[in-house]
Amino acid sequence: MTLRLTVQVQLVLQALLRDPVREMYGLELSEETGLQPGTAYPILLRLEHEGWVASRWEDIDPRAEKRPARRYYRLTAGGAAAASAALAGARRPKSTALHRLAEGGGTA
Amino acid sequence: MMPAIDPREERRKKRGRAAALIGTGTILVSSVFQPGWWILGTNPRNWVLLAAGTVVGTAVAASGGRPPRGRGRGSGRVRGRGSGPAGHGRDDNDGAVGAAAHRWRLLAMVSRLMPRSAGRRWLAEAESLLSEIAPVRRAAAIRSYLLSAPLLAATMWAREVLRRARLGPRRPG
Repeated sequence: MTLRLTVQVQLVLQALLRDPVREMYGLELSEETGLQPGTAYPILLRLEHEGWVASRWEDIDPRAEKRPARRYYRLTAGGAAAASAALAGARRPKSTALHRLAEGGGTA
Repeated sequence: MMPAIDPREERRKKRGRAAALIGTGTILVSSVFQPGWWILGTNPRNWVLLAAGTVVGTAVAASGGRPPRGRGRGSGRVRGRGSGPAGHGRDDNDGAVGAAAHRWRLLAMVSRLMPRSAGRRWLAEAESLLSEIAPVRRAAAIRSYLLSAPLLAATMWAREVLRRARLGPRRPG
């Protein structure tokens, strides 16, 4: 199954790509992308299913920390490369189309 | 001076909005999955989708109209699994907290629509996030979880069915 690069998926990938080795948890991602958590979660699951993202539960004692454990996400090595390529590919048609439009407008 | 707000009127409006939203969402999601959605046939995906849509629709619509329960920690606590938002980051507004706790119970209910492990993970992650989110954003976050749940449940079940199909039939003994 191929991953559909919707705007929301692109936002999540961009947030993760800002620092590919950094782990981010759901709330962090939601705040950074501006997406609601209910929107970000299925995207992260899909990315994980595709092998682009790996996740793990935080290893803490919830009683000591007084909060439940977070689930951290980070790009895999292959995922970072694939995400960069996919985002570059997602942007290309837009700029090409704009370029053509500008050229067409100039010659008309 | 601000005009007085009639809580009953507010509730009715909220319920109407939720019902309309869920109805439209269910139709749209069903159409995406199966153009002839009204013919349920024998495809289990259709039945899962219909069940998920119905339960979540009812849950969200009901959450709009139900008055917040009681006050403080004791009455708003979620029984059973975990503590939910009841024990974390509470604000001083009893109504908002009661409503949030009530919605969290809905999340727990909705999680049971998904395959067991996926539902547990979804709920645990929702609980983790909701415990840290700002109280003013909590209700919107819960709503977003509830609204995305039917499609997520359908996807999870589709994956589960595929996984089981790949494993093949169970052998006796």
